[in-house]
Parts: sequence; structure tokens; C-alpha cells
Amino acid sequence: MRYLSEYRDPEVARALVRQIRETATRRWVLMEVCGGQTHTIVKQGLGELLGDAVEMIHGPGCPVCVTPLEQIDKALALAARPDVIFTSFGDMLRVPGSDCDLQQVRARGGTVRVVYSPLDALALAQAHPDKEVVFFAVGFETTAPANAMAVYRARELGVPNFSVLVSHVTVPPAMRAILDAPDNRVQAFLAAGHVCTVMGWTEYEPIAAQYQVPIVVTGFEPIDILEGILLAVQQLEAGRHEVVNQYVRAVTREGTVPARTLVEQVFRLADRKWRGIGEIPGSGLVLREEYASFDAERKFGLEDLTVEEPAECRAGDVLRGRLKPHQCSAFGTRCTPEHPLGAPMVSSEGACAAYYNYGRYREGEALAMSRESAVGSRQ
Amino acid sequence: MCLGIPGRVVALRDDAGLMMGTVDFGGVRREVCLAYVAHDIDIGDYVVVHVGFAISKVDEDEAKRSYAMLREMSQLDELDWMREFADTGLRDAQQAS
Repeated sequence: MRYLSEYRDPEVARALVRQIRETATRRWVLMEVCGGQTHTIVKQGLGELLGDAVEMIHGPGCPVCVTPLEQIDKALALAARPDVIFTSFGDMLRVPGSDCDLQQVRARGGTVRVVYSPLDALALAQAHPDKEVVFFAVGFETTAPANAMAVYRARELGVPNFSVLVSHVTVPPAMRAILDAPDNRVQAFLAAGHVCTVMGWTEYEPIAAQYQVPIVVTGFEPIDILEGILLAVQQLEAGRHEVVNQYVRAVTREGTVPARTLVEQVFRLADRKWRGIGEIPGSGLVLREEYASFDAERKFGLEDLTVEEPAECRAGDVLRGRLKPHQCSAFGTRCTPEHPLGAPMVSSEGACAAYYNYGRYREGEALAMSRESAVGSRQ
Repeated sequence: MCLGIPGRVVALRDDAGLMMGTVDFGGVRREVCLAYVAHDIDIGDYVVVHVGFAISKVDEDEAKRSYAMLREMSQLDELDWMREFADTGLRDAQQAS
């Protein structure tokens, strides 16, 4: 198709790959924090194409994957209640909780409905005043404006039987947590284009300055990603560390101001656990006190529920970039998209599912070994 | 849920003070909240929609290109939900599937 060609042209891609390889005098380690970018990188084999110039580490860019186990368990408890209609984005239905998933709760008689928009859940609450309608408000900054509006409208319209189970996370604190880790290897970031469409990139400027890492706001098509990588490598080679915008056709520095404003009006920052990673200070959004009556955890007395995560799933190492999905001993055997141990194998934005679906595990293994030996021989 | 889906605004309406509109996603039409782009939107414009909310305006070429890309990435699951909900309103997704 004509309109695809510009951002998928193999000639342009080859030229960019060549330029990246010519620019890099050593092998740089970059992290993308967007499940859509991970998907493109794995599917197109961009990591392999870049050879010794760049190693791509896949960061915690999948909102489904980082939703903590205890929030899933709270969702399961709410969905099982006879007085509750539990509503959720479809992505969350197969994420394993401690005992089961939302689909299984539904099979056992719980009422679980998939909605496209949180406003659909609000409409459902208005249509069923005799029921409690709970919406599972998950996601990064891309879904926060929608969820903020649903709560804002519920208060404005007076819908007391609507509430939200909030599990919102924000990207910049996770980047800080990765950079703060003693064994961090990340030298530059590709920031998620669609998150920045909402938020702009002002939050990334202090991170780039403090940690001296280049951050490139990047789209999710193959040429976008290669261009983002080139802009990062050029900075690394020049010893610069700025926030630059590759995704100029969609992102401005300020983002979508009305959306940011309502998110700030409805939510405040709080510490939040990330599945597999643990608590990251200031990385979550919770409802402000004025909206407390719409907080499902308070309404149903679930605030104190805490859960230990099982040891077998190594999603945390994958989400932090310490382990490539195919290097996990359960990958493709005890853990598959049909029988997932952890969320990264469930979600289409998860790194494990991307590796599994694109058959990267065998090839990836071989390449990883050859890379290691190549790096070793240079030392 | 993180990748926005581009579509074309085909109708505008006011829902008790909230700007809503009908957006066409490659033939599937769906009610979308336009409040966040209300200052800058008209019928015929293309918008990027996240979970039922238009977050930004885009030009037509960009909209068509990223739509095709999303289709290829199998990232259009949300459209299947939309298809279910667009005509029949809300109903149990289990019945729908």
C-alpha cells in the first residue's frame, strides 16, 4: 500500500541500519518502554539487524503485564460478588491471578463484561441502578484520561453505584527505577510515542539531565524505531544526553493539555507495586480524596489485601530487561499463550508473547550466543 | 490498550455537556468522547482514539498508515469489541464471542 511505504520501505530501513552501524563505535544498550515497539522490534528482527551496534532490552512497557498480582486478585474477588457487574478492557480477562483469571470467575457464575470505553461501564451503572458496577482502571498514561473522565462524569451525573478498581502506572518513575538499579545496563531510552502524545515529554527532561541518558520519543513503526535508535546512538557517540522527538507527526512537548489537566484533577501520584518488579515510589495514580466514594477498594474493603508473587514466573527479570523471554526455563514449555504462567505471555503487548508468536526463541538463542562470543572477542 | 487507533469523525453531538461524536474506523463506527480535542475538531477530521477517547488529531495519511500498521500487528482487538458494541450496545462479551 502506498501510504505504508514511507515508514516501511526496506531501502530506507537498510539505509538506517547501515547508518546506525557506521555511527556506533561500540555496542550500546538501549531500552524501549512500549509494548507496541517491542512487538515491532521482535517481529521485524530489528535486534538481529543491528548486530554489534545496539542491544535492545525490552522494558516494562506492557500495562497488562505490570498490573500487580494483588490488584488482579482484588478484581477476581469483586467479579465473584453476586451484587457486582465487573467491567474491564478485554486484555485483562486472561491474566492469571493467584488462583484463576477473570474468564474462569465468569464461567463460575460471576458477571464480567468487556467494555471498549470506561464510559460504557458508566452507562452500564446507569442502566443497572440495583447493581454495583466496578470498572478495572488499568494502564499507562494513555488510558488515564479516559478513566479520569469516567470518574469525573460519575460524580457530575451522580452515579453512586459506579466505582473503579485503580491500577494505573506511569512511565517516568519506572525509567528512574531501572536507572537506579545497581546492575543497570541501559544507556539510552526510546520513550513511548503514544504515552507522549498525551503527556508530552517535559517529564523526561530532568531524567535525561540527571542520569545523563539520551531519551528519544519514538513511534512504533519499523522506520520510526530505527530512526529513534539512530538519534539515540548519535547522542551516545557525541556524549550528549537530551530528550529529542522522533515522532514529530504525533507528539508535541506539552502533549494533550486538556487530558493532562483532568488526569491531575481526578488522580494523585502514589507508590505502586509493579508485577514482577516490586514497589516503585510515585509510579502509580490513585483517586484524589474528592473522588474517594468511587474507589472500589474503599467501597468493598479491599485496601489491605496483599499477595506474594509466585517464584516460578520470571516476568520481573524480563520486564527489567535482565532476561530475554527465550532465556526463561519455562518459556514455550510450561508457559505458553494458551497456558501462561505470567502476564507477559498473555498480552499482545507482552515481550514473552511477542517472542513466542514470532518464533524468536530458537533464532534468538543462537544469535544471543554468537553476540556474546563477538562481544567477548573484542574485550 | 496502549496503541491508539485512528479514525474519521463523521458526527458530533453534545451529551449533557460532554462532547461526543461518531468515529469511523475503517467501516466500523463507534461513539467516541471528543472532549479532549473539542477546541480543534470538526466533522471529517482524523483523530487517534484510546479506549473510546480521542487524544489527538492527525492528518489523513498518518491515520491510514498507522491503521494499516495496527491491522498488520494484530493490535485491532479493540475493534472487535467495538464491532460488538457499536450496533447492539452493551452486552456480555461471552455471548458475543
